[in-house]
Amino acid sequence: MSKTLNRRDFIKTSSATTVGVATIASGITLTSFAVNANENPVTKDKRWGMLVDTNKLTEVEIDGMVSACQQENGWGSEVHSTGDQKPTWVKKLKVQDKATGKITSLPLMCQHCEEPPCVDVCPTNASMKREDGIVLVDKHLCIGCRYCMMACPYDARSFVHEELTDQREHMPRGKGTVESCTLCVHKVDNGESPACVASVNSDAVIFGDLYDPKSNINQTLKKVQSAQIRADLDLNTGVRYSGI
Amino acid sequence: MYRLVAILMVLLVSNVFAHGHQEQHDLGEEANSIKASGKIFHTDGLDVIRKMHPEFLNHKRDKTLREGVRTKEGSLKGCVNCHSTKDKKTNQYHPVNDQDQFCSTCHQQVSVSVDCFSCHRTTPRKGTK
Ligand code: SF4
Ligand code: SF4
Repeated sequence: MSKTLNRRDFIKTSSATTVGVATIASGITLTSFAVNANENPVTKDKRWGMLVDTNKLTEVEIDGMVSACQQENGWGSEVHSTGDQKPTWVKKLKVQDKATGKITSLPLMCQHCEEPPCVDVCPTNASMKREDGIVLVDKHLCIGCRYCMMACPYDARSFVHEELTDQREHMPRGKGTVESCTLCVHKVDNGESPACVASVNSDAVIFGDLYDPKSNINQTLKKVQSAQIRADLDLNTGVRYSGI
Repeated sequence: MYRLVAILMVLLVSNVFAHGHQEQHDLGEEANSIKASGKIFHTDGLDVIRKMHPEFLNHKRDKTLREGVRTKEGSLKGCVNCHSTKDKKTNQYHPVNDQDQFCSTCHQQVSVSVDCFSCHRTTPRKGTK
């Protein structure tokens, strides 16, 4: 084997090593984790958020984010749904500056609003926001009325039109309920980043606790100019964009 | 007349016994091996888990979904992982809610439909992707 590693080899090698370490120490890591993060309810001390730098993020990377989300959460292979019926948790959106004609692409998913209209309109309390700012659908309570889909200014929610099987173990999904980006809550609760964020090999998309002054996202947001989409609605979104 | 009542009574009683002596259903791969090893998983007693499992599951679902508490106790994933059986020919897991599989046997008998699996995965993740 040649001594100079190209980048791909390096990633392969390093990830193999990481897995090795994780296996050796798995018992210990899991136990300490359970005490720290998973046994106690999440609190208002944190607010999870994401910052997307549209100048750095390429279109290929956005497509990669979409497929990472599909792979992680198991949507996108609905065979009986047509056109608009197909669930879309995150999509590639192109915005054009009317004056200059400049086109910017960005990934659009649930913006995890602090004041979510989808929660306001839900008649059953199924549409909900966790203390740490993650907006979810409690499918146990959802009656499929789709009010929340109408209320969401970002068109972020989908209705499942067909019976599903073979769902991901961590992501129950089913006919007659509404779903949307969960910010990969099952990963976040395990101390990991959302799948779409992890799929980007640069700092074009960063994820973290908006409130934590030591977090990368907090510090970056203090430095760079950023925007919320439809900031005029005053929803105080958790997902922010720079470069638009 | 007395004779008729007596026959009826006998029929009724034997019917009850027939239910009492139901054949043992397969507990599922992992549950079987736990039982064979002499360990007890449901330490509160089988009567407790039999009667209370809907409450345990509902309690846990709210804790996990709304509060982010992700302990293993009372998790539906755990039930599915432990109580699934494999098809001997194909070596694939049967969905745990298929007819005569673990989750269905009792529910069939008492005519209760199980709603969990219109959304939740019905086979263990192990061995699949
Ligand atoms: S983006 Fe839409 S679905 Fe997400 S929190 Fe806001 S209103 Fe709700
Ligand atoms: S579709 Fe479900 S989550 Fe949305 S408003 Fe109706 S009940 Fe609530």
